[in-house]
Amino acid sequence: MSELLAYLSPAWCDEAFKRLQTELTPDKMNKVSTSMSNIYKNCPGGKEMFLFIECKEGNITRVETGVGDPPKAEFLIIGDYETFSRISRAELGSQKALMTGKIKLKGNLAKALKLAAVSDRLNKVLAQIPTQYG
Amino acid sequence: MPRIFDPNDKYYIDNPGRVKAIQAEMHKRGIDVYLGSRIRTMSFVLDAFCPWRSYLIIPSEGQPAFFTFVIDALRVGDETWLDSDHVRGYGPMGGMDQVSAITDYIKDELGIKKGRLGYEDGVSTYTAEGNLSHWEYTRLRDALPDFEWVNAHDIIDGLSLIKDKGTIERFRTASLIVDEGHKAARAALENGGYRGMTETVIAGIAALAMRKAGSVSEWNFAGLNEISSGYRTGLGACTPPTTKEIKAGEPLMLDFHAMFKLALGDHSHNYLIDPATKRQRWHADNFVSIIRKVIDNYRAGTTPGKLAAMMMDFAESRGCADFILPGCEHGIGLFGDEWRIGSIVNPDLPYWTDQDHVYQENEMVVCAMQYAAPEEDIGFRYENDIVITKDGCDVMSKYPLGIEEIS
Repeated sequence: MSELLAYLSPAWCDEAFKRLQTELTPDKMNKVSTSMSNIYKNCPGGKEMFLFIECKEGNITRVETGVGDPPKAEFLIIGDYETFSRISRAELGSQKALMTGKIKLKGNLAKALKLAAVSDRLNKVLAQIPTQYG
Repeated sequence: MPRIFDPNDKYYIDNPGRVKAIQAEMHKRGIDVYLGSRIRTMSFVLDAFCPWRSYLIIPSEGQPAFFTFVIDALRVGDETWLDSDHVRGYGPMGGMDQVSAITDYIKDELGIKKGRLGYEDGVSTYTAEGNLSHWEYTRLRDALPDFEWVNAHDIIDGLSLIKDKGTIERFRTASLIVDEGHKAARAALENGGYRGMTETVIAGIAALAMRKAGSVSEWNFAGLNEISSGYRTGLGACTPPTTKEIKAGEPLMLDFHAMFKLALGDHSHNYLIDPATKRQRWHADNFVSIIRKVIDNYRAGTTPGKLAAMMMDFAESRGCADFILPGCEHGIGLFGDEWRIGSIVNPDLPYWTDQDHVYQENEMVVCAMQYAAPEEDIGFRYENDIVITKDGCDVMSKYPLGIEEIS
């Protein structure tokens, strides 16, 4: 695929779902059941957007993007569009972004720490999508 | 400290009853939510040892929620009567600092947006960190009305960052004293000596050896000599010893602390008690490799953030990133100076380590790593005082690195 997909667009979302399902086996996802919503502040045009990912027993079952309120999730991760873009472009590690306060987590931290490596794997797959950032 | 749920146990305490009594008192005083922060409050309500800065949120009805430093949350959860959903961690992450974690819980999870909040303030004769309490501040300021009060702790923090020769030599001696504790523990455990031995006893054997070698205290606020064995090794990075017996086929973590002229020796060493499985050996080899990798990368000019990222990448390449906590050090100085690295207060995460702090020659840290696979009842910890040098670091404990299988 050489065509660039607009970040968080429906086409990008479909591609993300396909790649995550294909590349992340339940074993790679530690057979975990969880859900998370990234909340994108200060998106181009001033909107607030979300990326929702749900995983059941290690299978990616839902990936959704949109404007406004996200589906209810176990973890909320809140940050600027630009910060998430840098993470997706692999210019900034997600853990460093978290540990420097550039993104904020809401949820049970003890459980979130166990999912740190899984989250990195998700981000690495998403980073491979040819993406046009705003 | 094991939980006691049996009301017929001679040591049983009715902790849920205590909470109800507190809530009845809150009701009388019109308090909607109580924010406890003193150790005595944690002990009274949780019936668990809570050495890290902790907070207890008691709503007008239902279970309280406990927040502590995330490295100790699983261990406290294992020991208290509160259910696991009410034992939470805070940590050096956006949205998870103490203030955000607590206020989000009150506003979003309890749904209390406004009302009357009970808190704990006053003055005491002992304390670990020693920041001025609100009570002290208010009274002192009122008694010195013509002064402008400015928070200036960064003067001491900045000046104590680079260690002088005398301080470094004290730490070197304190670390060698810790090695005497490890030698004594090793001798006591081998040849079946571990059988029938508890975590508390091996902690005491090491303490005696270190005292004989010149230590005056096991200094550590999180439980003196910290020991964990079996499933407890996977609970996290704070393990006051318990009366659990050390058993064959289990991992064992010994984290000993010695104090010499206010310098704080701190070295953790791990064992596998025979017979070890291949899977246990795999975990152990992973951890030793990670330690070597991190130690090899310390030098002036690097940062905590770079080291943590390098460590996580290395762990992922070995297939064990799920088990390593994303950090590899904490600060250290003379007695009372532990944890935060650097002297800058990062406004985004105040009073946590600045991930972009650039190490300089003669700074000291405790290289500290935690490997935890709680589902497999195994974990390891490494700690060692190190001095940053121009091209590397000086590792102060000379006890040989490795995870031996002993029988």
